Amino acid sequence: MALFEEQLTEVRNLLDGWRGSGSGRDFDCSAREPWPDGPSLVLEEETALELGNPSAASISLLIWSEGGGVEDGKVTLVGPDVAEAASASVPFGQVVIAGGTFPDEYESYRDVRDAVYDTRLAGFSVRTMPSRQSVWCRVSRDAAGRGFSLVDLGAALIDSLKSLDGVSGAQVVFVTAGVDEVKKLAGAAAGAQRIVDAMMKMYSEENYDCETCEYQDVCDTVMDLKKIRQKLAEGKGSG
Amino acid sequence: MILSVCGKGGVGKTTVSAVAAQALSREDGRRALVVDADPAGGLAVALGLEPRKTLNDVRKEIIEEVKAGGRDEKDLAVSLDYLLAEALTEQGNLALLSIGRPEDAGCYCKVNVILKDAIEGLAGRFDATIIDAEAGIEQVNRKVLSSVDYVLLVSDTSAKAVKVARTIKGVADQMIGGQGTGLLVNRARDADEAGAVERGTDLDVLGWVPEDDTVRRFDGEELSFLELPDCPARAAIVTALEKTGLI
Ligand SMILES: Nc1ncnc2c1ncn2[C@@H]1O[C@H](COP(=O)(O)OP(=O)(O)OP(=O)(O)O)[C@@H](O)[C@H]1O
Ligand SMILES: [Mg+2]
Repeated sequence: MALFEEQLTEVRNLLDGWRGSGSGRDFDCSAREPWPDGPSLVLEEETALELGNPSAASISLLIWSEGGGVEDGKVTLVGPDVAEAASASVPFGQVVIAGGTFPDEYESYRDVRDAVYDTRLAGFSVRTMPSRQSVWCRVSRDAAGRGFSLVDLGAALIDSLKSLDGVSGAQVVFVTAGVDEVKKLAGAAAGAQRIVDAMMKMYSEENYDCETCEYQDVCDTVMDLKKIRQKLAEGKGSG
Repeated sequence: MILSVCGKGGVGKTTVSAVAAQALSREDGRRALVVDADPAGGLAVALGLEPRKTLNDVRKEIIEEVKAGGRDEKDLAVSLDYLLAEALTEQGNLALLSIGRPEDAGCYCKVNVILKDAIEGLAGRFDATIIDAEAGIEQVNRKVLSSVDYVLLVSDTSAKAVKVARTIKGVADQMIGGQGTGLLVNRARDADEAGAVERGTDLDVLGWVPEDDTVRRFDGEELSFLELPDCPARAAIVTALEKTGLI
């Protein structure tokens, strides 16, 4: 099985459900004017909308597909956009899907991840906690007043991913519709996290003994991980 | 601008820092980071704020992240940013960061280095930063922050306190260098007493602060210095802060 295949299927099923029930709105951002880059500190008193505050639900997930099927340039909103939110703080789910070829999984993962981490927009602050898979954002009143939309964020993420070699397309899904909707992403996020953790572990340790590895179950289901391990073990043997 | 308030124990560092925070809270459009670097945590109390999380908590969480493994430097850097943001207690244009009391003596030099970088990065995003330092020279000596622009020395009228201030300036010149320094003489009886202190030191004296009943009352009743009304001590501290360029 390819690296994130299970998570891709899960996210696609969720998307079908959201679109089917009319709660998912699609935006094509391929011709959108980019939102300017800028400093990232937004204090509470300057905040128009907070997304994924540590006390609210927040789930962030980053996966890729080498087999096509990525809806390039598309941002899907499940729930209210910045100007539509009824409260000052909403739970937040963020799914980023990159499409293309990712020959060196570890390097590719880091590049794709950094492209997401390094996306900084004026009047928008974003903090990421990888081990909690959460992302916590604030939109300043100033940015909201100038019309900042989650579609602008999606467009910026897609742009920065597509600036990478090997990435031919990208799509983003934002969920602001409430805790229950955000939590639907939990399974896929946890699965992706296990895969990434297993991969990171392989690269950071010299030990390829499957019997004692805590990620054995993940490797057993995800063939790509086995291939990475073999590649690493061979590299080590010859070096 | 990063200003650190230093001096001997009990001379009025927290009082001066709290008045500085109040003055900054009234400057529209400027964002200020207020660092309570005293493990005893007096500044948070003086400002009526209750931090839910301290820098020491952040440090512990990052150490856990490192121990759990599988996180490269980039992951740790963004995690640290997240945790630091969580540790800020915001009040209007002010954000308070409390250092907290380190419980374990374990040396995690690498963690301390990335923490220092992260705090400096955080301070860089604010227009002004004030640090209520721990009493004495230790923090200056350990170079807790290397990019301090001004060391505001506080003493009372005792020779001992002025001597400590002088020592701190010496260490700061060595460890930081290029920063401004000035002495604020606190709790003086009158201009004569303050003048005597000034004649006895080679430190630049920014001014003197009278013993003040309003300050005593606010401290005694644990009222927030963000609400401190105009009073002689406040006026004197604000005048001195204007000379430092902070406000
Ligand atoms: N100008 C003043 N008039 C009256 N009381 C003052 C004045 N300045 C400080 N005090 C009082 O002196 C005491 C010590 O002041 P403060 O806590 O600010 O000192 P500190 O240097 O921060 O002490 P520590 O080293 O313990 O942190 C407090 O009770 C405070 O209210
Ligand atoms: Mg104090």
